[in-house]
Amino acid sequence: MPEQLWFTALLNRLFAGPVTAFLRAIHIEPHHPAAPIPNSLAMEILVFIFLLILFFAVRSRLSVDRPGALQHMFEGVEGFVQNQSNEIIGRHSEAYTSFLVALGCFILSCNLIGLIPGFESPTAVPIVPLGCALCAFIYYQGQGFKHAGIGYLKHFAGPIWWLAWLMLPIEIISHLARVLSLTIRLFANMFAGDMVTLVFFSLVPLGVPIIFIGLHIGVSLLQTYIFVLLTTVYLQGAVSEEY
Amino acid sequence: MSPTPDPNNRDPDRKENFWVQVARYSQLAFIFPAAVVAGWLIGLALDHWLHTTWIYLVGILFGIAAGFVELIRATMRNSR
Repeated sequence: MPEQLWFTALLNRLFAGPVTAFLRAIHIEPHHPAAPIPNSLAMEILVFIFLLILFFAVRSRLSVDRPGALQHMFEGVEGFVQNQSNEIIGRHSEAYTSFLVALGCFILSCNLIGLIPGFESPTAVPIVPLGCALCAFIYYQGQGFKHAGIGYLKHFAGPIWWLAWLMLPIEIISHLARVLSLTIRLFANMFAGDMVTLVFFSLVPLGVPIIFIGLHIGVSLLQTYIFVLLTTVYLQGAVSEEY
Repeated sequence: MSPTPDPNNRDPDRKENFWVQVARYSQLAFIFPAAVVAGWLIGLALDHWLHTTWIYLVGILFGIAAGFVELIRATMRNSR
């Protein structure tokens, strides 16, 4: 039986049977049939529920005359991402803001949840950053096709038609490398941040870990920003008219 | 001669802000090894699928080329 956080144990107690049955139905044998839900998935579900409640709370209290603190905060975040994408993508960037804000909120919450005792950062497990990177990859490729139709494939052929046979595999690899690079950057930074905080907490339990917790918060914010920004840069590459 | 208008309405003379450049440059450290690994993995998958033993080498070579293409593209974009 793997080591489980209290929330993971709760989910496994409630849903282990149906989850194991579902996995077996799609021919996947879980390592621990009694506890098929890992900590990372449980933390992702917790973050999802938290964000859903937060967004509903903001939605229900929207006011033009007397905006509350939550509304101010989310308008600030939305405005920041909007300005950023407008600077990088140009016109029509508003269409992508909702995805970028949702992605940023999810990654930031996943990064920061590890600071609460009894929880851990799901982004410190490679499969979670990989999932986020795949979401970003599928989204920007989808937007590329939506914007240019089948002509989007010309992006993969390069600017010189007789070099297309060479550029096609190179472009495919470079697009897949983006997924890998987004994944490794986020995972490595969050894993290292967790480890450093843990090591110093076990060496000097008082005072010193606060510095590293501060560092962890800084790294969480920076990595979220970089992830969203690079997704915006990739979006710009996919929807731009130029090669 | 007047500069070519940007099709996306961006000001061609406007410099990117500092953090956008930080993100773009931080990508350079990851993109080259990531491209080589991606090429190697695709090569391995093709080797497994086609029952061959040499495509992974071609994958690595294409990965190196893809890494250089991304590096050159990023630096050209930043030095524009």
